[in-house]
Amino acid sequence: MSDMIQAVDSPQTITHAAKRIREIALQKEITPEVVLGVFDQWAAALGDRELHDVPGMSFLRLWLRRGNLEPILLRELGPNSLHGGWREDGRARLRAFPLGVIGHWPAGNVEIQPVLSLTCALLGGNGCLVRVPSGLVEITRRIMDKLQQADREGTLTERVFMAGFDHARMDLQEAMARAVDGAMIWGSAEAVSQVRALPFPHWARVAVFGPRLSAAAMDAATWSDRTQRSSWCQRIARDVWQFDQQACSSPQTLFLERGIGCDPAEFAEDLKKAFQEENRQHPRAEIEPALTTAICMARASWLLDDVGNRALFPATPDWTVLLGTGAEMPDPTQGRTLVVLVVDDLMDVISRFDGTLQTLGLGISDPRKEEMLAQAAGRCGVDRIVKLGRMHVFGSPWDGTELIRPMVRLVRHVLSQD
Amino acid sequence: MNALAEIEQGIEGLLAQPPYGVEPEEHHRALLTLLKKELDYAGERNPRFRNYVEHWPVDFRAAENIADLPYLPVRVFKANPPLALVGAEDVKRTLTSSATTGQVPSRVVLDAATARRMTKGVITIIRDFVGPSRRPYLVVDTPENLKGQAELGARGAAIQALGSFATEVVPCLLPGENGDASLDLEKLLAFAGKWKDSDVLVYGFTYVIWTQLVQTLQRRGITLSMPNVRVLHSGGWKRLEQQAVTRDVFARGVASVFGCSPDRILDYYGMVENVGIVYPDCAHGNKHVPCFGEVIVRDPLTLAPVAAGQRGLIQVCSALPTSFPGFLLLTEDIAEVISYDQCPCGRRGTNFRFAGRAPKAEVRGCGNLERTRYHQVEGSVR
Repeated sequence: MSDMIQAVDSPQTITHAAKRIREIALQKEITPEVVLGVFDQWAAALGDRELHDVPGMSFLRLWLRRGNLEPILLRELGPNSLHGGWREDGRARLRAFPLGVIGHWPAGNVEIQPVLSLTCALLGGNGCLVRVPSGLVEITRRIMDKLQQADREGTLTERVFMAGFDHARMDLQEAMARAVDGAMIWGSAEAVSQVRALPFPHWARVAVFGPRLSAAAMDAATWSDRTQRSSWCQRIARDVWQFDQQACSSPQTLFLERGIGCDPAEFAEDLKKAFQEENRQHPRAEIEPALTTAICMARASWLLDDVGNRALFPATPDWTVLLGTGAEMPDPTQGRTLVVLVVDDLMDVISRFDGTLQTLGLGISDPRKEEMLAQAAGRCGVDRIVKLGRMHVFGSPWDGTELIRPMVRLVRHVLSQD
Repeated sequence: MNALAEIEQGIEGLLAQPPYGVEPEEHHRALLTLLKKELDYAGERNPRFRNYVEHWPVDFRAAENIADLPYLPVRVFKANPPLALVGAEDVKRTLTSSATTGQVPSRVVLDAATARRMTKGVITIIRDFVGPSRRPYLVVDTPENLKGQAELGARGAAIQALGSFATEVVPCLLPGENGDASLDLEKLLAFAGKWKDSDVLVYGFTYVIWTQLVQTLQRRGITLSMPNVRVLHSGGWKRLEQQAVTRDVFARGVASVFGCSPDRILDYYGMVENVGIVYPDCAHGNKHVPCFGEVIVRDPLTLAPVAAGQRGLIQVCSALPTSFPGFLLLTEDIAEVISYDQCPCGRRGTNFRFAGRAPKAEVRGCGNLERTRYHQVEGSVR
């Protein structure tokens, strides 16, 4: 089994790889149905115990399953798309064709993202050039080894080139940009801006999934329900822990609607228990000293800023709950630091949102109220509204954008004899 | 006796002892008792600080270790108005840190008693390293930084703290038009000629000594021939590290222009927030903690104190301030604990080596978005 990730040192290596996979993509057409077949086997192979420690692995396996991807393909590419056929469109017909070679620049903080990004382009029949962030090389290699096992004929792997190189190597970044017909760019503002500035061909289609913030909200009836509260708190803890609260879909602030006869401090105590338990199950293995000091600073400034503010935290930097009031989202600290703000009206919170809010995790007991909040959130720029505990479940659309459709061309054919 | 008087008596008791001569257990016991009283006092004086210590996971009144007491991250002193335990009418001086361009400096307020203790603390420490005698004092800085102002920067504070060792003070830099300074060579050569073989004290910020004094003299091929000079410097290595100037290169460079031995160059670590305490290198290259303070090096993963030989974030402690709650401060610097009481130089207690600033956090993924940007797009939908 060959190594799927190559340490690249020359622009020519990238240019040659792009040429090779473009030719394969042009000559060997694959239908989404074939891709789904390989993905299904890949998902099964990823169930190996040795990969259980990879953060996000359960999501990746779920994502790869036919039952998950088929509806997405049908919605994004239309009926008949699974078999690569044409579909009627009035007096014409339509069919999806690959763009060619797609360049992938995944974020460095989400372990499974190089692979998630890659799958979107493969479903469109494209070839893929993937720059694997240095911190994710080993994990990505382990995941891709399983694809090699599942894809014995190399149907997918022959059209993938994964490159490992320092992000500061502008010659390699530029070679990669010049060689692609489309790009999927993920990550922080700085990273995204740098990649967008690369010399892409004028025809390249670029999908950007830039930095976003996420928040959570619960109505009074939900958070004050003592019988269900610990379950909700576990869900919140899960959302906070995943990706160490560094993902765009990580909740940074939880808004609690004020209720009569229910004490937010009591809820915070339950949240503390859930955080303790989550931390017991998923302790940190390492931390950057700068994050430790940022967490200490968040605790101190919260309690020094307002004598009415409260906080729960251990002597370690493992987790922090900051409890106060207000409808404004404070600057995120990350590092499992959740700000819990009590508000009179959740609509007041949502009306302040804008397009930087990606995901709103909800725990709302009244469906009519949830409907209203979802309407308002959508209007105010939020792209995903999900149940608490499912904030990181990757799906299409993401960031309000389809994931497969932007990486194909829909070709329109009007019959000449018509 | 009221609480403050009791605290002041405790501080004076510590200041009266030899700074590095107290047996570690006795030092810990005395300092812990005093720090608890100071935390209690500070909580009484400032409700916001009380809110902080009351939320600390360990009740400080029951703590058996200094390491369990509530500490503040040093960045809280970047807040304006500064965190204080005295009213504005009692503030005699405000010290500001040497923030680099674009950064907000830290500010700590001193009342008369804390200012007096600050001077006494620094003198006690420096005396232990350079001896008690008064001597000519060459300041590698401009005359402006010698002035006693109500708001004093880190450079000015460091220069003035050493003034007690001076028979005469001579600044050897000239202020430039754009805030740059240049060497007043005539004045420097006159000073060097006058005090050639004498015991002389020199102080300057590390990068100022290097860029203004050493490089200028090296370019001109001048050696000052002052073999008995003691050169103290502080202020960090960041700018010099960018120029690949190591500690060894620095010491040899300074020694070569003064014509002295490199062991007469003394680097010390300190910060305005850790009032009254500096940490000079001993002959074995280790930094020591006086009996009126403590240093705890914490593992960033657990925040627990590290074992000897390990590195972590530096927490500094000082019993000296009563005008601001700067007793226990977690810095953003990294140090290695050499030992907890075994330095061959004979000084008792914790000894450590400074290992640099904690590197800034890497770009933290697709969720790395600050509220400032959140507001920049206010009113628009992407």
